Amino acid sequence: MSAYLLNLAELGTIFALLSLSLNVLIGYGGIFSVAHAVFFGVGAYAGAQIALHLAPDVLLAALGGGLAAGVLSFALALPALRVRGEYFVVASLGLQMVATTVFTEAQGITGGYGGLVGIPPPSLFGLDISSPRLFLSVCIAILLAVMAGVHALMRGSFGRSLMAVRDSESAAEAFGKIVPILKTLAVVLGCIIAGAAGGLFALQMSFVNVESFTLDQSVLIMAMVIIGGVGTLLGPLLGTALLLLLPAALSFLPGIPPTELGAVQQGIYGLAMTLLMIFRPGGIAGRAEGRR
Amino acid sequence: MSPILSVRGLAKHFGGVAAVQGVDLDLPAGLITALVGPNGAGKTTLFNLITGAVEADTGRVMLAGTELARRTPARMARLGVARSFQDLRLFQSMSVQANVLTAIEPHAWFWQPGGRRAHARRLQATEMALAETGLSALADALAAELAYAERKFLSLARILATGAQIWLLDEPASGLDPASRARFSALLRKHAGQGVAICLVEHNLDIVSALADRIVFLDQGRKLAEGEPQAILRDPALAAIYFGERRA
Ligand SMILES: Nc1ncnc2c1ncn2[C@@H]1O[C@H](COP(=O)(O)OP(=O)(O)OP(=O)(O)O)[C@@H](O)[C@H]1O
Ligand SMILES: [Mg+2]
Repeated sequence: MSAYLLNLAELGTIFALLSLSLNVLIGYGGIFSVAHAVFFGVGAYAGAQIALHLAPDVLLAALGGGLAAGVLSFALALPALRVRGEYFVVASLGLQMVATTVFTEAQGITGGYGGLVGIPPPSLFGLDISSPRLFLSVCIAILLAVMAGVHALMRGSFGRSLMAVRDSESAAEAFGKIVPILKTLAVVLGCIIAGAAGGLFALQMSFVNVESFTLDQSVLIMAMVIIGGVGTLLGPLLGTALLLLLPAALSFLPGIPPTELGAVQQGIYGLAMTLLMIFRPGGIAGRAEGRR
Repeated sequence: MSPILSVRGLAKHFGGVAAVQGVDLDLPAGLITALVGPNGAGKTTLFNLITGAVEADTGRVMLAGTELARRTPARMARLGVARSFQDLRLFQSMSVQANVLTAIEPHAWFWQPGGRRAHARRLQATEMALAETGLSALADALAAELAYAERKFLSLARILATGAQIWLLDEPASGLDPASRARFSALLRKHAGQGVAICLVEHNLDIVSALADRIVFLDQGRKLAEGEPQAILRDPALAAIYFGERRA
């Protein structure tokens, strides 16, 4: 595999974790957050700081990133989830905008606009795993473990409770579900995974800055989930692969000037999401007929 | 017989609308009480007040003699008060089996307590509820794909499985065909026979007179009458209100 493809595969694995984690919120919890990149970012900064000051251990970065994002999401979820669905989207948009500013301004922690540079190459329990193949293998192992865990939770009573709340909050309550706790758990779980993905991202890139954690990124992650198929195991992976490969594929297409690539890409995402919502609201991996 | 659920002086205003005005209600174990009244009489609101889905202005609710001051739907469910909804509110995107199973998994943590043994018991309760409501063959179908009568029975299966001793059913039989209606009535009779206190809202007076042990007549948020079905249904004043307002 060429270095380019390995790099793409590493990113793909990390973004698969991200979309998988957002799917817990959107697909199972019916909680639409456009601030997922914030938790990805918090995890990335935490992972970067751990790598810079403690050790560039993959697991340490992932756990530290997950912990930081989990704690922040817990603090934010309790008040935020009190508002109704439509307003939650707005609240999360607000959070995303505040966070982008904080990421840019908090020089001491985030390195400001320049970001954190010189993150040492990744290791695992003291062993050097800076070779792309090794790092990719570790990332894939983490992805598979997380997928298995999330799948088990979503197939079990927790997933059923979340889906029940999504389908009818009042009926779920009438059967004893404590809605705020369920939603908070879903948000915190999703954000821990996003933070862990951030920790891996910091090591993969060896530098991080605010540009990776903006609203654009949140929208991209959401597009991956929705295009792939909400509430399914493989949908987010499919969406991730499609949306990561799209820019690469486009750059091989003749006739598109490189300066226009970004615009063409945005246009294609937008069109794809609109068409999907009309013809296949469950996403590519979802059921053919839309949910009622 | 002493009532298992008693309501005293429940009241609720929505702006200028007095939806429920000082209603008393007793639901004794083993009896089927029909809540009857014209549209907008406050029947659904009364259920909402009892379960805490809507906060009452005033009034008290007692369960087996204990007053329940701060009611929430989740807490009432845990205390064995189950309710259905006029518009069913099934878990549309879930299977029939999952609809019932999740109704008896109230724990909010990542898993339910009790391990495999408790899970096996819940699966069995689910199977029994589906069998009793005639939905076993449809266990894997999505709730959204069910036919009308099947949806009504699924709404009932969720309640059955909980083992709740008090059922508040909001128009559970409306629109059922005669065969389904007979099945439905038999089911309610059976569980009342086993001691469940049932309160059902029903517009069809044939069903009410065939099924109910007692009628509570509600109009404009007030309880106008209460008693044996034959006595209530023969009262010309009540009939005038009931049919008059229903035609209007
Ligand atoms: N959440 C609410 N907000 C404002 N008004 C309400 C609300 N719920 C009920 N009402 C009003 O309270 C009154 C009683 O309504 P309710 O739904 O309890 O009647 P009902 O007896 O169940 O009628 P139906 O037979 O049509 O179901 C109506 O005037 C209704 O418009
Ligand atoms: Mg009603």
